[in-house]
This record gives sequence, structure tokens and C-alpha cells, in this order.
Amino acid sequence: MIAFLIRCYPSSWRARYGDEFAALLEERPVGPFDVADILLGALDARRRSRGHAATLSSGRGFTMSLRIGGIAAILAGILWATSLVLASGTILEVDGIVTGLLLVAGAVTLLVALAGLSAFQARAHPLLSWVAFAVPAAGAVVSLVGVAGMTFVGDRPMVGDLSPWYIWVFGTLTVFLGSGLFAIVTYRTAALSRIAAITLGVGSVAVTLAVLIGAVGGVPEAIGIVLTLAGVVSFLVGWCALGVDAIRLDRISAAPRPA
Amino acid sequence: MSLSDGPKHGYAIMQDVERGTGRPMGAGTLYAALARLEERGIIEALPPEDRRRPYRLTAIGATNLAEQLHRLSRFAQMGLRQLGETSP
Repeated sequence: MIAFLIRCYPSSWRARYGDEFAALLEERPVGPFDVADILLGALDARRRSRGHAATLSSGRGFTMSLRIGGIAAILAGILWATSLVLASGTILEVDGIVTGLLLVAGAVTLLVALAGLSAFQARAHPLLSWVAFAVPAAGAVVSLVGVAGMTFVGDRPMVGDLSPWYIWVFGTLTVFLGSGLFAIVTYRTAALSRIAAITLGVGSVAVTLAVLIGAVGGVPEAIGIVLTLAGVVSFLVGWCALGVDAIRLDRISAAPRPA
Repeated sequence: MSLSDGPKHGYAIMQDVERGTGRPMGAGTLYAALARLEERGIIEALPPEDRRRPYRLTAIGATNLAEQLHRLSRFAQMGLRQLGETSP
């Protein structure tokens, strides 16, 4: 009787659940209610198995976005931290073109990372996740406009009285604030590592504070330097840790399940 | 909700649901739900123990469940408040 009921299910379902389902049915007597329930379940499984190939394909697309987002998050963290340190000119003097290229690469990879990881997190919190995507993504685009302006317009006003440098600073600050927002959403959804989210959040707040302190003044320079360094390192570690966690999750999702 | 206090296999989930609702749960209903929840990433299967395979909530599943329960709790509180206000 049990074997007959299980044979009513499609073969793909039997391959995945058949053994454990049989074990469950053997644990208690199967009455008329159970027979009707199982037959309805088999009907449901057959109806759903028609769309199985499509489901698998969309699931694969989802893990791909997680992997790409993870790799991009690691690259974005490294590129942003490196380009900010080089732009400050405190450790190493390099050609402005090199810094500009790094800034552009950082902004582009950050956009890819945000899109990939947000697609993953949006499964649990769609609205919050896409707001957390929109703010830093807008910042990255504005900072790209600023970098392009610095290359082609120079120090002349670009938008109103604002020079490209101010536009870049505004975009970069939005990236940091948006990364903080992204960290809060990541912490809330717990879809990725919460420790990584806290690290990214601390980095984002520290760098934003350092920039604001620098702009307002009245605070010892040493405090600004320590805040900036701690913030950039924390920002770098936070994005890299989120990226590593995303890749780890992708590997788990992509691993073949035992039948 | 049955998985909120740790991983369970199918039979334990059925017993849990039956205890909580006071109604019998069919194996067909249970496995239709398990397949859907697994597909949506709400639960995940652990390695089988003998022939029984335990399932557990994923991080997304736990967040979803907490949100649903909070929403339900707010809805129930609102209903009770309104009932108290309109009752003679």
C-alpha cells in the first residue's frame, strides 16, 4: 500500500523525498484520511513538477547573483580602501589617473556587489533591501560623475557652483552612509554574517564622522586621522567579510544534495 | 513554526503540529509544505539519520517567521483592543 502511494508521486519527487516519506508512513498506521491526503499531495507534486525545470533555472540564477555579488563586494572593499588611501596622499604619491581609475573601478564593483547581495536579501525584506541598495548605488553613480568631471572639467564649476571634487565628495559620503544603511538591513535580515554587517556599519559611520569633523573643524587632527584609518580598515574588512560569506552561502546552495 | 526550537524530522513535525492545533496532519500535506518551504529557502534539509531526514529553519526562514508572528500578534492585539472598546 505504501509503495503504491509513493509511486503516485512524480519520479523527481520520489528521488528527493521518497525514502524519508516511506519511513514516515511506516511509523504510523495509514488510514483512509492519510490515503486521501497523500493522493492529493501526489496530485499537487505532479502539477508542480511541470515547472520544476524553470524553478531550478531561477534558483541557479539566484545563487549566481550571490556569487557575483560576493566577489564584487571583496573587490569593492579593496578598491575603495586603496583608492581612498591613495587619494589622501598620506602613504604614497601616485599619478592622479591611477587613483581615478581605481575610484571608477571601486564604484562599478560596488554597484555590482550591491545588486547581487540585495537580490539575495530582498527575498526576506524586499522594500528595505532595495532602499539599502538605492542609497549607496546613487552615491556610487554620483562619485563616478565626480571622477569623470575631475578628468574632463578639472577645477571649474560643474553643477551650479560645485566643482567635480565636491560632487565626488558628496557621492563618496553617500556611498558611506548608504553602506551603513546596507549594513543595518543586512544585520536585520541576518541573511549574511551579522558580524560582517556590524564591521561595515562601524566603518561607514567612522569615515562619515571623520569627514564631517574635517569639514567642521575644532577637533584635534589626530582624532580625525585615527577615525579615518579605523573607518577605512573597518569598511574594507566589512565588505570583504560580507563577500566571503556570500560566496560561502553560494557554495552551500550550489552543492548537490544527497538523494 | 515547529522548527523554531531546533531541527526536526517529518514525524516529529507532524506530532508537533497535531499537539499545537489539536487536529491530525496528513503526510501528504506535510511533504507538500516541506517541498515548498525548501524551494523558497525557508527551511533546509540536514543529512539523513537512518532513513529520516531532519529539517531546520534557515536564517531567512527565522526572520520571516519572526516577522509573521509579530504581525499576527499586532493584529490580534488590535482586534482585542477593538473588541474591548466596542463591548458593552
